[in-house]
Amino acid sequence: MSNELRAEIDREIAENKILVYGKGTKTMPRCGFTLETIEFFNRFGYPFEVIDVLEHLEKREVLSEMTNWPTLPKVFINGKFYGDTDILGPMESSGELGEILGQTFGAPPQPTIQLH
Amino acid sequence: MIDNASIRQLITAQIPDARVEIFDRTGTMDHFNISVSSAEFSQKSLIEQHQMVYAALRPALKDGRLHAVELKTHALERFPS
Repeated sequence: MSNELRAEIDREIAENKILVYGKGTKTMPRCGFTLETIEFFNRFGYPFEVIDVLEHLEKREVLSEMTNWPTLPKVFINGKFYGDTDILGPMESSGELGEILGQTFGAPPQPTIQLH
Repeated sequence: MIDNASIRQLITAQIPDARVEIFDRTGTMDHFNISVSSAEFSQKSLIEQHQMVYAALRPALKDGRLHAVELKTHALERFPS
């Protein structure tokens, strides 16, 4: 079972350049820290996915073992684990995160409204 | 529930030189602010530092003695001996 979960997680990480495992969904976060993480990535404008694992205890256990990180949310960028906003916040201030995102997406974020 | 001495013991078993400060946030002995300083953290990224502490605390997180940790880590200078 945990091998299947591991494969499922590997697939999800590969399919999403920015992936947040959290409590609740993008439209209905069910935890303040998950909401904070969604707001954090909204500011950047790059696409990201949130996967709700609140009720999925077994998957949460596999995720914690994979990452040595006991808490949710858990953020993966370009296949690499970056913890949560406690780590990403300082990385944003230092400019490191902007560089990583730039390299990951290869282009600046698309503005939501395009002018002709 | 877990007491401060047991938390300190788990951390220093993995990170012997760690200076550990512990604050029981709720008075219920399961939600803590923990701050750890160590020379082992030098040359390590912030996430690697946190992962080292979480790995040390793993037994207590897993069996439920410890519910939540707000963690701060600080790398100490490593002086040549």
